[in-house]
Amino acid sequence: MLTVSIPTINDEQRDFDRLFNLWHQVNDDFLKVTFDFSQCGFLRQNAVAFLGGLARMIEQRFGTVTFDWNTLQENIRTNLAQNGFIAAFEHRGRPWHGNSIPYREDISMDKEVLVDYLKTKWLERGWVHVSTALRDAIIGRVSEIYVNAFEHGESEIGVFSCGQHYPSLGVLKLSVVDFGVGIPSNVRVFMHNPRISAESALKWAFQSGTTTKPNGSGRGLGLDLLKKFVEINHGRLEVLSHEGYALIESGQEAYAKRNSYFEGTVVNITLRCDEKYYCLSSETLDESLFS
Amino acid sequence: MRWDIKSLVGEDCITIEDGEKIYDLIHPVLLAGHEVELDFAGVGVFASPFFNAAFGRLLKDFTPEHLDRMLKILNLTPVGRDTLKLVIKNSVQYYSDPAFQKALNEILVEQSEEL
Repeated sequence: MLTVSIPTINDEQRDFDRLFNLWHQVNDDFLKVTFDFSQCGFLRQNAVAFLGGLARMIEQRFGTVTFDWNTLQENIRTNLAQNGFIAAFEHRGRPWHGNSIPYREDISMDKEVLVDYLKTKWLERGWVHVSTALRDAIIGRVSEIYVNAFEHGESEIGVFSCGQHYPSLGVLKLSVVDFGVGIPSNVRVFMHNPRISAESALKWAFQSGTTTKPNGSGRGLGLDLLKKFVEINHGRLEVLSHEGYALIESGQEAYAKRNSYFEGTVVNITLRCDEKYYCLSSETLDESLFS
Repeated sequence: MRWDIKSLVGEDCITIEDGEKIYDLIHPVLLAGHEVELDFAGVGVFASPFFNAAFGRLLKDFTPEHLDRMLKILNLTPVGRDTLKLVIKNSVQYYSDPAFQKALNEILVEQSEEL
């Protein structure tokens, strides 16, 4: 039996190291794992999504997971109850509306369910004052994250997400985590080159037109579109996969190697809640489409 | 032939599966030399995998000019148009310039060797 102490987890670089350290701790086929929160003072949305995935990963290996809820500080307990995390594992209690955007697990891509989640739980709660057309435009761009995760992630336990609204900062955050093979692995297999570094693989994946699908229908625009969208919004996009790290923020595009490793992929997106930061369409209706 | 996209795939055109459904409908009609009209009225959410699957592959068999003449896209939102145009531009480059993908891949190898 293994007891894992969950530390305070924000969404800075060192916090991802902490999350990935948790993954390393439980990744060695421990059959009984207890998560203890006595050292935890705060959990951001990325940590909630990641912890949910960790628990399902253990269960998928026929292990058992115990959350020691009694060790939770009251503020975290309230947050995990509100966002539905506790209900997902204990099958008791019901989440309620607040600044948390619900925790969810998706084993496959159900577009109606995911679009409804983004429309009703993420955007349409008065946090972002946008027209219906703009709302749909934002959802279209953010849905690229999910399509990518399901299409390329090969995560047997699915995709985990959670979000948070920060009224004082005027931002919305969303984290999407898969426990699949990771972007670098896909790129290395596709390129028949095991020497490609994780950060180079991420940089390649962000270029317009790159795809690891051989002669398939996908032509790899999703990450590029998402990048441009975040740039327009003055938001922030982070992708972590293996030791690779990609950051899109304030006109900069950076790729780096990190010291900690996680086999799957984490996407962390921060958007500004103000319509002035959205201008997605060129409105060029009179141009021909194909030539 | 004319199809109503909303009745075929719903209000959200996101997934590869939905795109393939449209491709399978229109590809043989276009190959037979007939005109196709697709009405996107009532569809609000678009993502590139749908357009890639539905239209990107058409560039393998048809020129952009031919598609402009034979494939009419109606009532597409401005953001949908922008996304589709990007997908088409990318596909044209891919199918018309074999060196394009090779060049992208070589960049990757060079980057790795530098690190």
